[in-house]
Amino acid sequence: MKLTKRITAFWLMIAAVLLLCAGCGAGESDSDADIVLGSGRSSLRIISGSENSELEPILEDFAQQENIRVEMTYKGSLDIMRLMGEEEIPYDAVWPASSLWLTVGDTEHRIKHAESVSISPVVFGIRKSLAEELGFVGREVSVGDLLTAIRNGELSFCMTSATQSNSGASAYIGFLYALLGNPEVITSEDLRSEELKTQMRELLSGVERSSGSSDWLKDMFLEGDYDAMVNYECLMIQTNRELEERGEEPLYVVYPYDGLSLADSPLGYVDQGDDEQEALFLKLQEYLLSGDVQNEIQRTGRRTGYTGVSEENMDVFRADWGLQPERVLSPIKMPAADVLFECLNLYQTDFKKPSLNVYCLDYSGSMSGQGNQQLVEAMEQLLIQENARQNFLQASQDEVNILIPFSGDVIDTYTAVGNGSELEALYDEVKNQTVGGGTDMYAAAVRGLKLLKEYDLSQYTPAIILLTDGQSGGSFYDFDSAYTELGAEIPVFSIMFGEADETQLEELALYTNARVFDGRENLTEAFRSVKGYN
Amino acid sequence: MKTKLIGLGILAVVIIAAVVYVCIGRSRTVTEINGYVGGEKIGLLEDEEVQDILRDRYKLAIDYAKAGSIDMITADATGRDFLFPSNQTALELYEQINGKPVKSEIILNTPIVLYTRSAVAQALVSEGIASEAEDVYYVDMEKLTEAIESGKTWSDIGLPQLYGSITVGTTDPTKSNSGNMFAGLLANTLCGGVANESNLPEILPRLQSIFQKLGYMESSSADLFDQFLKTGMGAKPLIAGYENQLLEFAVENPETWEQVKGDIVLLYPTPTVWSSHVYIALDEAGTAGIDALLDQDIQRLAWEKHGFRTGVYDTPTDAAHFGVPGLAEEITQVAPMPDADTMDKIIEAL
Repeated sequence: MKLTKRITAFWLMIAAVLLLCAGCGAGESDSDADIVLGSGRSSLRIISGSENSELEPILEDFAQQENIRVEMTYKGSLDIMRLMGEEEIPYDAVWPASSLWLTVGDTEHRIKHAESVSISPVVFGIRKSLAEELGFVGREVSVGDLLTAIRNGELSFCMTSATQSNSGASAYIGFLYALLGNPEVITSEDLRSEELKTQMRELLSGVERSSGSSDWLKDMFLEGDYDAMVNYECLMIQTNRELEERGEEPLYVVYPYDGLSLADSPLGYVDQGDDEQEALFLKLQEYLLSGDVQNEIQRTGRRTGYTGVSEENMDVFRADWGLQPERVLSPIKMPAADVLFECLNLYQTDFKKPSLNVYCLDYSGSMSGQGNQQLVEAMEQLLIQENARQNFLQASQDEVNILIPFSGDVIDTYTAVGNGSELEALYDEVKNQTVGGGTDMYAAAVRGLKLLKEYDLSQYTPAIILLTDGQSGGSFYDFDSAYTELGAEIPVFSIMFGEADETQLEELALYTNARVFDGRENLTEAFRSVKGYN
Repeated sequence: MKTKLIGLGILAVVIIAAVVYVCIGRSRTVTEINGYVGGEKIGLLEDEEVQDILRDRYKLAIDYAKAGSIDMITADATGRDFLFPSNQTALELYEQINGKPVKSEIILNTPIVLYTRSAVAQALVSEGIASEAEDVYYVDMEKLTEAIESGKTWSDIGLPQLYGSITVGTTDPTKSNSGNMFAGLLANTLCGGVANESNLPEILPRLQSIFQKLGYMESSSADLFDQFLKTGMGAKPLIAGYENQLLEFAVENPETWEQVKGDIVLLYPTPTVWSSHVYIALDEAGTAGIDALLDQDIQRLAWEKHGFRTGVYDTPTDAAHFGVPGLAEEITQVAPMPDADTMDKIIEAL
C-alpha cells in the first residue's frame, strides 16, 4: 500500500514549493554532470557510456522541445554496472553500451522500461594503407589474423580498459576465444592455462594507449598518432569523418568474423517511485525511438530499427572505409556472468600490460585538513588491494607505482613494485607526509620524467598522475625540456582539487595527450577515472 | 520585487491547494497495489484501456517492478502486494518456501514457441528438423535437440553467414520463466516423456552441457525478444519465447510488423508446454488484483491486444486480426511440465 508514501510525497511537494519561492532569482542548481543540455526547471539525469556524447545534438533538440534539462554524465559501461549495485543511484536513467552490463548490474530490480536505442558492432579500425599492406582489405578477417600481425610487430592499437568499458571488454573476450582455439564457450578451466597467459600478455603488449570509455578513446586517437583502434563501428565513422576533414588517411574497418560483439545501447529508467520523472523518461524514450529520430541516429553511423540500414543512409556506411551495412552481424557468445568476471579479474591482474604510475601528490599548505584527508582516503582505495579489487583497479604483479609528494619542491620519492606489501606500504607514506609550504607541480612532474628514464617503457603503460589544489609556481618550460629529453609520449593526467588552476593543468594535458579530471566533487571517483587510462 | 514575492506566495498557496485536493481525492478512490511482474506482461499492465477498467470498475492501480519468475520467488517481497510469475512451478516453489499464499489464480496462458528468421526456418525444414502443415511451422524437438547435442554448426546446415554452432537462445533458466520452461521442455525431450526424479539423473548432464554452451543468458524474456527483433538474424538466429510476445508486437507496432513479417517465423515445438501466468496475492490488498484481472473485458483485451490465450479465449476464432502468418488456431500437442521438485533440481544443476 502506498498511502504513507503519498502523504510523504505531499509534504515533500509543499516543501518543494516553499523552497522554490525561497530560491527565486537563484541560478540553476549545481550539477556534476559532464554536460547539461537545454534549460528548464525539471531535468533528466542520465548516466551513459561516452559513445552517446555523439547524440548530444539529438538530445538537445528534445530538451528544448520539452523545456527541460538533460544532464549527461559519462562513464564506462562497467563503471555504470557497478554504480547500479550501490544503494543510491543518483540518476534517472542508465544508458550503458550493452544490455549485458545492465542485466548483470541490476541486482535490486530497479531498472524499468529498458529498450535498445541502436546497435553498433565492436570492430577494428586500421589505417587504410596499413590494412592494405596487411592484406585485410576485401576479405574475411579472423581474430587470429589480427593476432599474427600484432605478434609480428606490424600492428599496434588502442583499446579501452576491459574492466571499465564495454568495447574493451568485448574485444578482450573476442581475443580470449581466438587464443583458446574458438571453443563453444569459455570456461573457468580454460582460463587457467599458462599458455593462454603468455599469449594474451604478448597480445596486449600491442596496446599503445587505453581509456575508460569509448568516445574518450576516439578523442585520444584523434589527438595522437596511432595505427589502429578497437571501437564501435559508429565511432569509426565519426573518426573517419574528422580524419577526412583534416585531409588525413581514414581507418579501414575490419569485422573479425570469429570475435565480433554487438553493443545494443539500452536506455533504462531508474525507478525511484517518482511518477513525473518516469513520465519524462518515457517521453524521451518515445522520442528516441520515433521514426524520424531513429533515422537521425542512423545517420550518425548507428544501426537502428528492425529492417537494417535504409537505402537513403547507405552513404553513411562507406564501402571505401570497409563498412559493411548489409553484413549479417553474427557475434560470439559472452561467457556466463561468473566466468566473465573471472576473465575481467585476470585481465586486470595477469594479462594487461603492467602500469607504471607516477603519482605526484600535492602536500602544500593549502591541502591541510580536509584536502589532505580526502587525498589519503582516495589513495587508500587504490593502494590497499582489497579496496581496489572491488572496482577492478587492483594492481598487477609487475606493476610499478612511484610516489612523489611535493610542495614548493619535491619532498621525496618512493617506488613500489608488484601488488604485495611494497605497494601497500606506499599508503603509509601517503598518510605520514607533513603538509605545508608552496606548490610547484612542474618540479614534481620533471622528477617523475627523470625516474621514468630508468625503465624500458615499451613494457609498461606509463602515466604521470598529478594531483594539485593551487596555482603552481615553477614553469611549463622546465617540464617541456625534460619531456623532450625523455622523448617518449607519457600522458600527464591531472586531478583538479581545491583552487587548482585549470589552465595550467589543461596545458599539460593538451601537450601530452591526456585529460584533466575534476576531483572537487569526488576525489576517489576521479582517481578511478584516471586509472582507466593506464 | 515585493509584489513579485507576494504574487509568488499566492501562486504557491494555489499550487498547494491543488496538490492537497488531488492527493486526497485520489487516495480515497484508488488503491495502488505493487508487485513483481515478469517482463512479458508489462505491455498488458501498461495498456491504458486495461488501466481504465482497473480504475473505474475496481478502484485499483497496479504498479510493478520487473523480475524473472524464479527470481521474484526468492527476492525480498517486503512492501509488495503480489507476485505475477509466468508458470505454476513458481507457485509451487513459493508454497514450499512460504506456505500457502493469501490467494492465487491462473490469469493468462500462452504456449512456449520458438522464433526465427525465414532463412533459418527454411534450413531447418530442409534438415527435417522443422516441418510445415497448413501454413503453420512445427519443430521436432527430438531432432532439434539431437542437432544441438551433436555440435552441428549453422554452416553445416547451409547458413555460412552465421557464426558458431546451432543453439536455441533462451533466458537464464535459473532466473526467468521462458528459459526455465524451455529447460523443462528439453528435459522432457531428452527422456522421451515427462521428466521426473527417477529419470532425471540420466539426463541432467546432457541438459547441463546444452545450457553451458549458451554462455551468458538474458534474465528477461522481453529483453531477449526485443534483441531477437533488433539485433537481427546474426545475433539471435533462433530463440525460445512466448507465443503472445509476437502477437502483442504485431498489434502494437503494425507498421513495423508489416515491414518485417515476411522474415519472422513462429515455430511450435511438438510437443510444447503451456506457460500459465499465475497471480499470487501476498496480502489482502493484493487479492483485489485477481478479480480485477479476470474481468471479462480485461481478458478480452489480453487476447486481442496482447496475445494471451485466456480461459474464455483459449480456442480463439478471431486469430486473423493479428495478421501473423503461421499462427496456430489451437494448441493441441502439449505436454505437462515436470513437477516442481524436478524443476527445482534442474534449476539447481544449471
